[in-house]
Amino acid sequence: MGNSDVGLIAHLMRRAGFGATWDQLHSSGAKGYQATVEELLDPSGEQRMGDDLIRRFQPELSGMLNQNSSGPNWLYRMATTTAPLREKMNLFWHGIFATGYPKVIHGKALSDQIRMFRRHGMGSFRTLLLELSKDPAMIIWLDNQDNRKGAINENFGRELLELFSMGVGSYTETDIQECARAFTGWTIANREYMELRSQRDSDWPYGRISWHFEYRPEDHDEGEKEFLGQRGNLNGQDVIDIICQQEATARFISRHLYSFFVADEPAVPQWPYTPPANEQAIEQLSQVYFDSNYSITAMLRVLFNSDFFKSESSWYTKVKSPVELVVGVARLTGEFDRPRREIMDRYLRAQYMGQWLNNPPSVEGWHEGADWLDTGTVVERVNFATQQLGDVSKPGVQAMIERIAAQSEPVSSPEGLVEACLDQVGALMVSEDTLSELVEFASIGGDDSLASDSPDEEARQRIVEVLQMVAATQVFQRC
Amino acid sequence: MSTVETKLRPGFLEYLLTVGISAMEGRGCYVPVDSAIGKDGMLYVVNRSQQNVARGVRVTMCNTEGEYFGTFGSSGEGDGQFTSPSGIGIDSQGRIYVSDEHLHRIAVFDASGHFLSKFGTHGTQEGEFDTPSGIAIDNQDNLYVADTYNNRIQKFTADGRFRLSFGSQYDGIGDLRLPWGVTVDADGNVYVADWGNDRIQKFSASGEYLATFGDSGDGDGEFYRPSGVAVDHDGFIYVADWGNERVQVLDRAGGFVTSVMGDATLSKWAENFLSVNVEEEAARSRANLEPEIDYFVPDSHEISSHIEKYFWAPASVKLDGAGLLYVTESNRHRVQVYKRSA
Repeated sequence: MGNSDVGLIAHLMRRAGFGATWDQLHSSGAKGYQATVEELLDPSGEQRMGDDLIRRFQPELSGMLNQNSSGPNWLYRMATTTAPLREKMNLFWHGIFATGYPKVIHGKALSDQIRMFRRHGMGSFRTLLLELSKDPAMIIWLDNQDNRKGAINENFGRELLELFSMGVGSYTETDIQECARAFTGWTIANREYMELRSQRDSDWPYGRISWHFEYRPEDHDEGEKEFLGQRGNLNGQDVIDIICQQEATARFISRHLYSFFVADEPAVPQWPYTPPANEQAIEQLSQVYFDSNYSITAMLRVLFNSDFFKSESSWYTKVKSPVELVVGVARLTGEFDRPRREIMDRYLRAQYMGQWLNNPPSVEGWHEGADWLDTGTVVERVNFATQQLGDVSKPGVQAMIERIAAQSEPVSSPEGLVEACLDQVGALMVSEDTLSELVEFASIGGDDSLASDSPDEEARQRIVEVLQMVAATQVFQRC
Repeated sequence: MSTVETKLRPGFLEYLLTVGISAMEGRGCYVPVDSAIGKDGMLYVVNRSQQNVARGVRVTMCNTEGEYFGTFGSSGEGDGQFTSPSGIGIDSQGRIYVSDEHLHRIAVFDASGHFLSKFGTHGTQEGEFDTPSGIAIDNQDNLYVADTYNNRIQKFTADGRFRLSFGSQYDGIGDLRLPWGVTVDADGNVYVADWGNDRIQKFSASGEYLATFGDSGDGDGEFYRPSGVAVDHDGFIYVADWGNERVQVLDRAGGFVTSVMGDATLSKWAENFLSVNVEEEAARSRANLEPEIDYFVPDSHEISSHIEKYFWAPASVKLDGAGLLYVTESNRHRVQVYKRSA
């Protein structure tokens, strides 16, 4: 395994996952890049912290009474799963099909939506859109329970076209109305009682009752409709079929995938006016979309194996989202070897950095990229990462220290110590300037304590301090 | 839909009533995890509430008549406070013992809820705990505590002096994996809900292994993550089959008797709530609370989240002197009460 393979796989794991530990990188490196991509694309056989453990020791995450229940559940999954791409795709879809607690007011409904993404988010886009249209949290979020025959509510129909599939400029106002007519009668069961409880934030008498989809034929408009040039007694499923056939849909999803996994594109409202940075990549992904019958996995396979993804020029060009940062650090420190109260703190930390799971700022989700950073969030991010990697009580930190201390070639110089620390946190590559600053920091105290076959406490402390300094570098905040 | 009883002794358990309502303060329960029955039918319900939320953590005192007698305990780490309260037991003197999974200790109160003492610290040595949960008390007032992450049961005198321990982590005979509920039968034998091994194990008072009941699964007599166990005077074994969201009954030899999924009706407190919140009462009366649903994954946790009357996270089963069975449900903030009819 050459260094370039490790570097490339590390890049893949940062983008398609939440980074990789030393163990994971070396295990993947032995298999090779393509095999690692295939492993990421196939989440079967996933290992993770079990729901039984979470529900027993943190029972409030079982009944999901409020805003702070769905997010920590999801964080556990992200921090412990062996199938990180699926969770990354959940974040991807959550950012596009954004729903939030302030209006939904039902933690389990939000969690159920994430579970739906988990089931369908890497399959057919058509199936995903269909399930999204039946998703109770989405129905309440965009008022489709009020979309009835003879009295349409356009909210869901409009966002389905504008934000979920095609983008502005690909349809008319009439198409929106016809789309809304097609989705009349798509609601949640016991709409009156469930909506009232949600509005009143009522968990009386016996806690939350899960929501489920209901199709009410008596509320559905059976009249003829014309949508994007096709006529008929269209129902919601027919509309989704038509949407999925559109070139605009293929380009919309391709551009989202490119922006999320390769390089930041401008915010979605700018897309009608700003062409993609890499038109060829969008065309390539769009073609795969049609060739594969709308398969998201097929699109991801092509994306991860493409030159535009693998190119070193794209490494470290994206800013980790707060959740990506927090989860990546938690996976390095291995702190969630069992349910721990710290999960709530990690969930809140991401919130302080600007990303509140299951509560995005608007229907447009979050503005990713450099928008994550301001003077306050940078301090929060760096403090968090350095504090965590300096906590020697955490099993992952102990393992990193021990691996460095037990290297067959003892670390005998500041340069060697820095190299070993960069390797341990995921084969991190830093600029020449950063490297020299790290070496200068590692040189404080001289070489003596490093040159032993069995490093003493002082040497171990120096390893920890260099690990912390690595966590404070700019590239650690990037992916 | 009604409770399924296609078992060997249908009708063995008869649903009686429900106690409780979701409430973060005062009269009601909030993420209850265990209960115990004291003198004169006083029901003590341990409420865990939510992490980072001070409100809701308390022990609620009430009875099956719907009478409310107050609460004791609050959120915190001081004497008489709880952070993650878990199990509860009552001795012959009426003293109340409550375990705390986060503070790794047992707190002792009098029957009115006044703090008396505490014992235990975090650790792996004798008398130390890592996440203590279930508590059982024998007729000589010895305490058995499920020392969960140490995968053992520890036995103490009433004043907290260590006597012995048994169990170790694994899945062999007599081993334990994250034990939860504990009980003692009329002969002084100890039954443990061996949560991580999906079985009930029976030990003597000195910790000798005696028997195993059940195996992993969701069939009759099988368990998925059992949380609690109780044994009546005739030797019938009642198991809170937490992961399967049901209660099962076995005979003294371990033979399957019956199972129930939950039959909750409105408690007196719930009736009172709906009588003064007429809009919710009206909407509720028009709702179908037992819908037929096409589940993508029909696991029992998911089903119970939709059907309000079913058990949802039945964390413990307890028997009172009259043989009534109390099932405490964390996710439904209530206690369903059954009686033996056979």
